[in-house]
Amino acid sequence: MNRWRYLLGKIGWAVFTILFVLVLNFFLFRVLPGDAARAGIRDPRLKKEAIEAIRVRFGLDKPVINCFESLNPVKFGSCGVNPLDTQFFIYVKNLLHGEMGISFHSNRPVADILVERLWNTILLIGAGQVLSVLVGVIFGVFAAWKARTKIDYGSLIISLVAWSLPTFWLGIILLFWGSNNGLPIGGMQTPGMSSQPFFVRAGDILSHMFLPTLTYTIVYMGEYMLIMRSSLLDVLSEDYILTAKAKGLNTFQILKDHALKNAMLPLVTVIAINLGFTMAGAVQIESVFSWPGLGGAIYEAVNRRDFPVLQGAFLLIAIGVIAANLLADLTYSYLDPRVQSE
Amino acid sequence: MTTPPSSPAARLLDFWRVFRRNRMGVAGLIMLAVIVFVAVFADAIAQYEVRSSIAVTTSDIYQPPSAQHWLGTDDAGKDVFSNFIYGARVSLIVGFFAAFISIIIGGVIGIVAGFFGGRLENFLMRFTDIMLVIPDLPLMVVIVALSKPSLLNIIFVIGLLGWTTTARIVRSQTLAVKSRKFVLRARAIGAGKAHIIRHHILPLVMPILVVNAVLVVSLAILNESTLSFLGLGDPTALSWGQMLNYAFGRGAMSTGAWWALFAPGFGIVWVVLGLTLFGHGLEQVLNPRLETHHLMNPRSTVKNEATGQPLRHATGERAALDKPILLQADSLSISYINEGKPRARAVENVSFTLREGELMGLVGESGCGKTTLMLGLLRLLPAAGQIVNGEVWFGDTELTALSDEEMEAVRWKGISIIFQGAMNALNPVRTVGDQIAEAIAKHDTTMKGDALDARVSEMLELVGISPEHKKHFPHQYSGGMRQRAMIAMALACNPKVVVADEPTTALDVMIQAQVLELLDSLRKRLGLSIIFVTHDLGVVAEMCDSVLVMYGGVLAEYADVDTIYNNPRHPYTQELLKAFPDLTHPDKRLTSIPGYPPKLDELPAGCRFAPRCPLVFERCRVEEPKVISIGERHMASCHLLERMKPE
Amino acid sequence: MKRILALAMTIAFLLAACGPSGGGGGTVRIGWAGSPDTLNVGAAVLTEAYTIFELVYDSIYELNLDGSFSLALAESVERSDDGLVYTYKLHKGVEFSDGKPLTAKDVKFTYDFYKAHEDFPYLNAYTAYIESTEAPDDYTVVVTLSEAIPNIESQLVYMYVLPEHIWAQYAEGAAATEFENVEMIGSGPFQMVEYKPNEFVHLKANKSHFLQPPKVDEVIFQTFESQDVLVQALKSGQVDMITEMPATAVESLKSDPNIKVVTGAPFAPGVSDIIFNQVSAENCPTDAGGLCTGHPALQDRNVRLALSHATDKQKLVDVILLGYGALGTTLIPDGLGMWYNNTIKDYSFDVAEANRILDEAGYKDSDGDGVREMPDGSRPLTFRLQWPSDSIDAPRMAEMLAEMWKEVGVATEPSAVDPDALTAACCPAFDFDIILWGWGSDPDPSLLLGVMTSAEISTGSSESGYSNPEYDALYDQQSTELDLQKRIAIVHQMQQIVFDDVVYIIPYYEQAIQAYRVDRFSGWLTDFPKVELSDTSSLVVIEAVK
Repeated sequence: MNRWRYLLGKIGWAVFTILFVLVLNFFLFRVLPGDAARAGIRDPRLKKEAIEAIRVRFGLDKPVINCFESLNPVKFGSCGVNPLDTQFFIYVKNLLHGEMGISFHSNRPVADILVERLWNTILLIGAGQVLSVLVGVIFGVFAAWKARTKIDYGSLIISLVAWSLPTFWLGIILLFWGSNNGLPIGGMQTPGMSSQPFFVRAGDILSHMFLPTLTYTIVYMGEYMLIMRSSLLDVLSEDYILTAKAKGLNTFQILKDHALKNAMLPLVTVIAINLGFTMAGAVQIESVFSWPGLGGAIYEAVNRRDFPVLQGAFLLIAIGVIAANLLADLTYSYLDPRVQSE
Repeated sequence: MTTPPSSPAARLLDFWRVFRRNRMGVAGLIMLAVIVFVAVFADAIAQYEVRSSIAVTTSDIYQPPSAQHWLGTDDAGKDVFSNFIYGARVSLIVGFFAAFISIIIGGVIGIVAGFFGGRLENFLMRFTDIMLVIPDLPLMVVIVALSKPSLLNIIFVIGLLGWTTTARIVRSQTLAVKSRKFVLRARAIGAGKAHIIRHHILPLVMPILVVNAVLVVSLAILNESTLSFLGLGDPTALSWGQMLNYAFGRGAMSTGAWWALFAPGFGIVWVVLGLTLFGHGLEQVLNPRLETHHLMNPRSTVKNEATGQPLRHATGERAALDKPILLQADSLSISYINEGKPRARAVENVSFTLREGELMGLVGESGCGKTTLMLGLLRLLPAAGQIVNGEVWFGDTELTALSDEEMEAVRWKGISIIFQGAMNALNPVRTVGDQIAEAIAKHDTTMKGDALDARVSEMLELVGISPEHKKHFPHQYSGGMRQRAMIAMALACNPKVVVADEPTTALDVMIQAQVLELLDSLRKRLGLSIIFVTHDLGVVAEMCDSVLVMYGGVLAEYADVDTIYNNPRHPYTQELLKAFPDLTHPDKRLTSIPGYPPKLDELPAGCRFAPRCPLVFERCRVEEPKVISIGERHMASCHLLERMKPE
Repeated sequence: MKRILALAMTIAFLLAACGPSGGGGGTVRIGWAGSPDTLNVGAAVLTEAYTIFELVYDSIYELNLDGSFSLALAESVERSDDGLVYTYKLHKGVEFSDGKPLTAKDVKFTYDFYKAHEDFPYLNAYTAYIESTEAPDDYTVVVTLSEAIPNIESQLVYMYVLPEHIWAQYAEGAAATEFENVEMIGSGPFQMVEYKPNEFVHLKANKSHFLQPPKVDEVIFQTFESQDVLVQALKSGQVDMITEMPATAVESLKSDPNIKVVTGAPFAPGVSDIIFNQVSAENCPTDAGGLCTGHPALQDRNVRLALSHATDKQKLVDVILLGYGALGTTLIPDGLGMWYNNTIKDYSFDVAEANRILDEAGYKDSDGDGVREMPDGSRPLTFRLQWPSDSIDAPRMAEMLAEMWKEVGVATEPSAVDPDALTAACCPAFDFDIILWGWGSDPDPSLLLGVMTSAEISTGSSESGYSNPEYDALYDQQSTELDLQKRIAIVHQMQQIVFDDVVYIIPYYEQAIQAYRVDRFSGWLTDFPKVELSDTSSLVVIEAVK
């Protein structure tokens, strides 16, 4: 009973947040100065008719929303527009059909571009996230267990240094190192291998993943280590650990059966919230290593001012983060029996 | 208990005294001081004026470090070292001002939400939650692209997007502070809200805000460098991020000009690391948390204090028994040793014996070393605790001499503990049955599957809990059930001795009585020996065979229960009994003992009870009384008794 | 930890080693820092897309590395006496990559298709003079023009011939721009194998191409996000050639025996310009959103001339391009060969002269703050100096200009501006003083010359707002002058006018810098006045090094 109410509450909240992001997303990109149709194309060959045609193609000829010709207050007015024929309505309608408009840059549907790149990013972030959590947790466990020893201070300082590294800078350094050591430094595969057997291609992708994943792992492990350390320190000073010790369990048994699960709980939430921040890392890593992912798409879209792509990516990431948070809440409620009755 | 603090200068000085001991914090502070110094005095330190490019020629571009250019030159032939120095200024300005904006917004939202509560809080925190999930980098990109990429805009964008964590932290701190006594008092006497916030809330929220600010500054500096790298920075303001942007954009790596890439990146790492170290140190000082836990290697038993006489020889009691002795503590002394603090002599020269089937009460006020003594018996002391003298005999085994593995075998199987506050003593994420089964399986490897399950059910039934509850989690139990489950767990391995450490505190009176009754009946049925730690002299009188009274870590008086109640010799015992309602003489006036027990690391010279003793005389203040035997199975430590001894 | 890392690396290496080694000697790997925006011929904007089109499609003409045109799909051409009708005979036996023959019908379809689509940003513009295209038989194409023009070659050279049987279904409406064309059925010397947007373009050789069968088997263009990484990829042998690189890296690459760096005028030349807002009040295009807030001093040729004298172009070339650029004089870059007026003698870099001009024109520093004021003392000569924020060179140039101009009492307020916002502020709003920007050029000079005409003030192509009836008349004249020498003379005269009026300061014409590994392929065309190793001309002749 309580559990269902809890779940419904969480889901309702996620839906509300997504709606909010939808609206924010629309207006954020409509307050841009200048004429989006001319973005990227500045050429005398471009005739007025061509510009107008482009405006029509991207739906920019329609009023933004009923009673607003644009958000520019000077152009305020022009009520009496059919609300179903406004950019906002079309935007919402298209989204319901899974359409996010057309890229200014490539003329391709934004949804197509983002979907093909989403998987590449999931591969990279997934591997990086798993590794950084793994390394972070291992370091964190040792640091907390051996609190106030050299092991602890050592891992603490390593983590703080790793945390302090600007992602792109570390990426550049590793790229330089990697190129001198024969590691692939760009892209996610060697082009022209589509006819090769699966495991050869997988190996090729793995070798291309090495440097970006390494960068990702180093940058994010520090944070996880710090969280794990402090969380485990909290848990290890709980009374039930003393109980476990009094029961005669040895250190290993106590860590395994009583401390780790409890200490990992806060990590679940942090990983989910972090997903939004890891996109910032992905933008940098993917642009340094030419990784064809969502972050790279954002980087390119920024450079080309390709706002439909940026808008779509923003929406996709926001929804991803919201979904991840929801998932984290649900996982948490599953892992921590206390939540259900709260 | 925090009270509104005194003068700011004094507080700062106090703070500094503690802070300077934190090596990481001080290292961070020094790193920051260096870079702030460099930024402030950039004009004096830099070798070249930063913007001059008039004299540059092609051959000046990307020159390696030399005597003229300590860090070489960049893509425009300018001195990297000078740029680095001036870049410190820009990066720090961005970091500090952006963080300032974030802190103000986050602080205001957090305090308002926490203080006013209700719908306002709900609205503000939901808004914060939304901002928290919105990915900030794409948002920054759009906003920077919208506005001109000027330094001011970048400061605002970073500032306006960086406040969410601050708001959350400040809110929860405000909530915590709001319910403190002096704030409630201020509200009760009708102080205005603004006044309360300014004078009562803010001073207590400030420390946490400062720690958070340090983190926010470092994030802002990292964010600025990221924006610059993405080409969204202000190219006319040469921050470290912008230097990297030029270097990466204009071929430093392929030219091999590592210095142009290394210097600004190093600057960022230096400042951010300095900030995080400093923040880490600040947090440890402002929000001190014992960074110790139950798995830290305890100090090994080093018996270096040769005071006190061994009980065995003094009383010779071991031989003369009606029942065999199960557990015997012999001049046991335990100290807490924390670096930089005086040693706390928590238990000193305590001896007692426990026979089969005996129930010994251990009484004394809080902080008298009762729990330390019990934990010491099982060698479960926290890391700072150390047995400095004495022996613990469990049957024929001297526990302080056992290896860790041997000790593990003794725990629970030989001596188990019922902890106070079963809520915390049970693991919240594992079922009760599981936790009981774990103890059984540890000590009896033959117990598996159904047999184990049956044993768990049996134990729960023994304490009056229906076996189907074994699948439930501790939070699903009522307080009394939890305590009974704890008892079931303690008895699960058929221990010979059970230490019950205030097993009934935090329970209501009815339940207390039930639990005690259960414990007593189980003792009789199973023939347990129990050490019962309590404040409650009534319970002691009713149930115990013998009583050990502790005060300030030493044995005050030790005797059988009749002797203690009818003929208490130590002034402390006498005072304790006076403070306790006597059911047979309900008309007697209760008196409480004035004052508090001594702090164990600031013990008075002489007798530890002297400051509160109604019968104190000169000798008490200079000489510590020894534990002396004053009758058959009656010991006490008091100079008065020594004087009477010849009688 | 270390061991795990080492293990992971070993696995990665082992697996990588299983891959193809070098591609069998016949695969050229080209690294570039871009990627086609789209493979749709009509919708494409970026040069990278056109590079691929050049390889995969044929057109009637082709552009040679020396800037001349020659016939490609057509064997012969006949021009009517009035210059309005061109009759082309096509090569026989030309096939598309799907095996269907290329006929005159495809050419007609293509030209009609480009002409019908006003929403094609570039190719539609080249059909402006085409009245009609006819295909009387399979191998004859008749193009009728509305006006006799001198530059039919440059109009048709980018009109890639598409297969009608593929494109007919996308000929109408939005489908024409939304068709992604990933199969790229074409007749050119290379054929599409696989395309991953922003990753790579994988082409294979069309060994039976009627004109230029390539010697290599495959060409792969791989995208890297930055020029700096390109150089690393070349050094480490992950690519065989790179189409661009930072000038700073040239010296360090020259010391590598396996790498050869090639520099020269780019195949698609461009100009950098320092643009002065000189739109006059009466020419302000208020209907098109003109605000015209330019500094009044910039309307005065003396001021622009003085700034020109105060600009040390050699220093700009040295520091920003490390010398890999030619000093600029006029709007038409040197890369346009005969169209470039090389007789123009540039204003000397002479600070004293600049100061003299300003003094004489009455711009005095009356308040002694180091900045001159207008002759009436109304406002100081402080100019907004803006550039698009996506340029990494422009801020360096702005920095240097600010210092140079300071010497003549002119102050600047430099700021990077988002390219969109800059477009909005630039033209036709004319809400700026000075902008650092640039143009890419067509092989024909008409395009760049058109920028300076009065007609473009309201369209947004003219960023200076320059208006000169004499120049406008000459522009119209050159666009229909059929005699090449006469047309060249007019074009040179126009450049002189623009130079004399100091409409822009052209700091330099940037050179192309490319590099290739000598241990992989040989035969790259490096001896031409223009450099473009990724052009068809090179890619069809190179051979793997044994």
